[in-house]
Amino acid sequence: MRLPSRRTAAAIAFVLAVAAVAFLWLTQPDPLPAAAIPAHTADRANGEVLYHAGSCFACHKAAKGATNPSLPSGGTPFKTPIGVFYPQNLTPDPETGLGRWSELDFVNAMTRGLSPDGRHYFPAFPYMAYRAMRVSDLLDLRAYLMSLPAVKAMHPPHSVPQLGLARRGVGLWKRIALTRLPFIPASEGSDTWKRGAYLVNAPGHCGECHTPKSWLMLEDLSRYLAGGPHPGGEGKVPNLRGLLGRKKYKNVADLTLALQNGEELGYEDISSGGMAAIQENIAKLPESDVRAIAEYLLSLK
Amino acid sequence: MSLSKRTLAWSAGLSMIIAGAWGAVLAADNPAHLRHEAMETVQESFKPLRAIAVKETPFDAAVVKKNAGTILEKLKEAHGLFPEGSGGGDSRAKAEIWSDRAGFDAAMKNAQAAATAMAAVTEEAAFVPAMKGLGGACKACHDKYRLPEQ
Repeated sequence: MRLPSRRTAAAIAFVLAVAAVAFLWLTQPDPLPAAAIPAHTADRANGEVLYHAGSCFACHKAAKGATNPSLPSGGTPFKTPIGVFYPQNLTPDPETGLGRWSELDFVNAMTRGLSPDGRHYFPAFPYMAYRAMRVSDLLDLRAYLMSLPAVKAMHPPHSVPQLGLARRGVGLWKRIALTRLPFIPASEGSDTWKRGAYLVNAPGHCGECHTPKSWLMLEDLSRYLAGGPHPGGEGKVPNLRGLLGRKKYKNVADLTLALQNGEELGYEDISSGGMAAIQENIAKLPESDVRAIAEYLLSLK
Repeated sequence: MSLSKRTLAWSAGLSMIIAGAWGAVLAADNPAHLRHEAMETVQESFKPLRAIAVKETPFDAAVVKKNAGTILEKLKEAHGLFPEGSGGGDSRAKAEIWSDRAGFDAAMKNAQAAATAMAAVTEEAAFVPAMKGLGGACKACHDKYRLPEQ
């Protein structure tokens, strides 16, 4: 075989270099400025409510064999079609958890999908929903997490092909994804309904599973909460629209009981496909919030 | 050779009847179908119990005993209807039932024990704990061994 001429080689090297620079430029992280964090006196009790509303523990639960299995020290494998993720330790351990994260670091993670050192998070971490959370709520949530006992828990790196490149490539996806408007709280409707809409769409991130995704891995809003293939690959995620019309629940009180008790009261639709763990988190919310979620969901035709 | 329209109509009708009958025989023998029916009965029998738990209807030991008895009977029946290879298709049974048979059998036995305990409840104070035990046993098994909607 003849080697390419020096000129051809130079041309190929040039094209590759241009492509690499373009890739790096397009995938640059875009963190918030420090001024985006207002002065705020954190309310830990509100933070705890949001912690349960977001079912943080369902994904960040302690790995098997942890000494305190009730803390969100992370590391339980989270299987997705692109690979296996080992969720972050959310306890305030300085080395392996959030101990050294500033308020800005935390808000950047939740709303921009960025780690404190400026790397992109894969959207398996649902920042597309969390970015609609109020900054004050995010700061309360952080304060709650920082009040938990610190657990030292190292996790393996995510098992995703070409992890470094794929991670950087998420920046390209964000170029498109983050141009979408986040959920905007409604200005009309009852206070309960508005509260329900916020809990479902922002911290609750129900749409991550219950709204089908397009080929770009973005929620297909024309089928908002209408169910679809299960992200785990087997079975389907139920449709949350028309629950009343399809006689799945009788009324708000009925769905409230279902979310609070799940199958312990015989609501058998709420235990499969990973929903059992979500329901256990929802059950820890104040009753008024569970009722708000129920009222909002049952309003979806 | 030509067939009359009448012969054609007759043979078409006859084959439809045979196919229909054969389908019914298949369905009757299909364990996935039968266990589904058993579980539907369990779900129906849960409703009066839930009504008591949420205080829609007053506690009635006879109602509890009757429904818990039906649940126990149907759970036992369903437990025998998971032969190897009866998953897939429309069934919501997960492959783990057969790859972790011991775990599945233990979960099923657990539910039967909880139904037995429920059937023995005679006082209102013992009802809610029994309900949580039984519902919790159903939940544990469904979480691990049942697919979401198919």
